[in-house]
Amino acid sequence: MNRADVASSLVGLALGAGVMHAGWDLELGAPSDPGSGFVLFWVGVAMVGLSAIVLVNGVRGPAPSRPLWRGARWSKIVAVVAALVAYAWLLERLGFVLTTVLLLVFLFKVVEPQRWWVALTGAVASALIAYVIFKMWLGAQLPAGVLGIG
Amino acid sequence: MDLLAQIGAGFAVALQPANLMYCFIGVFIGTLIGVLPGIGPVGAMSLLFPVTFKSSPEAAIIMLAGIYYGAMYGGSTTSILVNIPGEAASVVTCLDGYQMARKGRAGPALGISAIGSFVGGTLSILGLMLLAPPLSQFAIQFGPPEYFSLMVLGLTILVYLAHGSMAKALLMAAVGVVLGLVGLDSINARPRLTFDRLELVDGIGLVPIVMGLFGIGEVLLNLEQALRRDVFQTRITGLLPTARDWVEARWPIVRGSLVGFLLGILPGGGAVISSFLSYALEKRLSRRPERFGQGAIEGVAAPEAANNAATGGAFIPLMTLGVPPNVIMALLLGAFMVHGVQPGPLLMTQNPGLFWGVIASMYIGNAMLLVLNLPLIGMWVQVLKVPYRILFPLILLFCLIGVYSVGNAVFDIHVMIAFGVIGYLMKKLDYEPAPLVLAFVLGPLLENNLRKSLILSQGGFSIFFTRPISAACLVLALALLLSPLLPSLGRKREEIAMEEAT
Repeated sequence: MNRADVASSLVGLALGAGVMHAGWDLELGAPSDPGSGFVLFWVGVAMVGLSAIVLVNGVRGPAPSRPLWRGARWSKIVAVVAALVAYAWLLERLGFVLTTVLLLVFLFKVVEPQRWWVALTGAVASALIAYVIFKMWLGAQLPAGVLGIG
Repeated sequence: MDLLAQIGAGFAVALQPANLMYCFIGVFIGTLIGVLPGIGPVGAMSLLFPVTFKSSPEAAIIMLAGIYYGAMYGGSTTSILVNIPGEAASVVTCLDGYQMARKGRAGPALGISAIGSFVGGTLSILGLMLLAPPLSQFAIQFGPPEYFSLMVLGLTILVYLAHGSMAKALLMAAVGVVLGLVGLDSINARPRLTFDRLELVDGIGLVPIVMGLFGIGEVLLNLEQALRRDVFQTRITGLLPTARDWVEARWPIVRGSLVGFLLGILPGGGAVISSFLSYALEKRLSRRPERFGQGAIEGVAAPEAANNAATGGAFIPLMTLGVPPNVIMALLLGAFMVHGVQPGPLLMTQNPGLFWGVIASMYIGNAMLLVLNLPLIGMWVQVLKVPYRILFPLILLFCLIGVYSVGNAVFDIHVMIAFGVIGYLMKKLDYEPAPLVLAFVLGPLLENNLRKSLILSQGGFSIFFTRPISAACLVLALALLLSPLLPSLGRKREEIAMEEAT
């Protein structure tokens, strides 16, 4: 049994049911004048059907030949995602330059840790170069934040 | 001749300094990400997508197109030198290219690869130039039922060619359609799936989704396993192929170009499948097939010509019909729409500057790439040596800035991160992202054409089958969907495994 497939197909089933429900709420209309929910509903039906196929194949089929999570460096992934979420949260509060420096220092240290001075100079340099390229040259509107820098 | 006048006008547009610069930037970046494993043309185009919002439509399309065919040039460099394909369309080049490098013939391999790419690219642009006008004429006959059926066919072919389970790929397509429908209904302005969030009223953006799936998702995937790369340590001397190489390679290049061009036009086809098929074709036709896999120069020349020719061919359905044949063209369609341009049969007449300008710039771009790839090989080899642990934070930063600069919305960043995680999980669990993206872009168009068709026919679904073009597309799509049920065809499909995006 392919457990990953079974799990993901169950998610698919739930999503499909949700989409069907949303489509039904929005009204299907008549075939000659389809309503907002028409396509949604039938796509939801398709999702449920397809998830069922994946589920059946997952239950009946063999387990995958190589373990899915072997050698996976979980902690790195969680760390990176957490860093990105923190970046999004801090961006408009601390401003572009500061938040970017913090993020880059963290990232340079996370996967294969650099020495502190490499991480710091790299982070500051990259943040400033990015600032010049994106804000000054390309005209992007990057937030200045509470401290007024960036 | 009318055609000459039009292409002349196109060159006038393409040679404007701003457009020349965007062309150069596009092909340069394209080669760069082609060289770097771990990020491909889709990722790069997604990253640069927001940058194009501020420029003119011509410049935007010129640059994004440059990234696409530029990546086809760059990908072969890593394939030959490091036995790691820069992107999926260069996988086949590894087979003989790396063997040639091991025998000390890296130079001619790189040289013939660049030249083959140039010939393939140029021939396909020629084809594009000649085929587009008559095809546009033909496409004017297309009404909502034809568009609907053609899009269904395109999506079906992509699903058919997806790696692994077709049910999973179809499921991804369905999810893509649903995501595309989030927002206000285009016909009666009712909010759908917006969950009362203001940010969702305009729908989910293409940029956060693509950058998440292909940018962030790819980084997460690469971080999960420790990457190891051994760059070939020899010096590269003598880039020019010998006379003997030329004799052996010239017909494979021509054949590769043809295969690539034709497959590029087909919805769902593209550079990857062209390279595989061209390699297989050359092996079949060769008088000494045992040389393939040991360093046969035809094994490098033909797929490289094919993958570049496919990029030219892929423009045809997009420019003449407005239907993107693959994920990359779907991004380009997004770029067109952002600039308020509608690609399709009317593009040539309403916006000839854009149409012919882009075509002319592709000639220029291919020439630039030949220069970039032959003499500057040494530089690209140096780039290969940048460790991923330095590269990935910069890629992530680029994604963050890119997505924020679109609408100044932190919400978009969160969407991107979410799709980054989703993209990572999808790759791990064998779900293809390409059908999702294509369906996302096509979803609203599909719904629109479906509803218009049904209103036209007053509720009768037979309209899709009584009109010949529409019927042909739907029948073909149905045949493809049902084919895995026939054991012999199902096996053949598994032989053509492919990864379209990245």
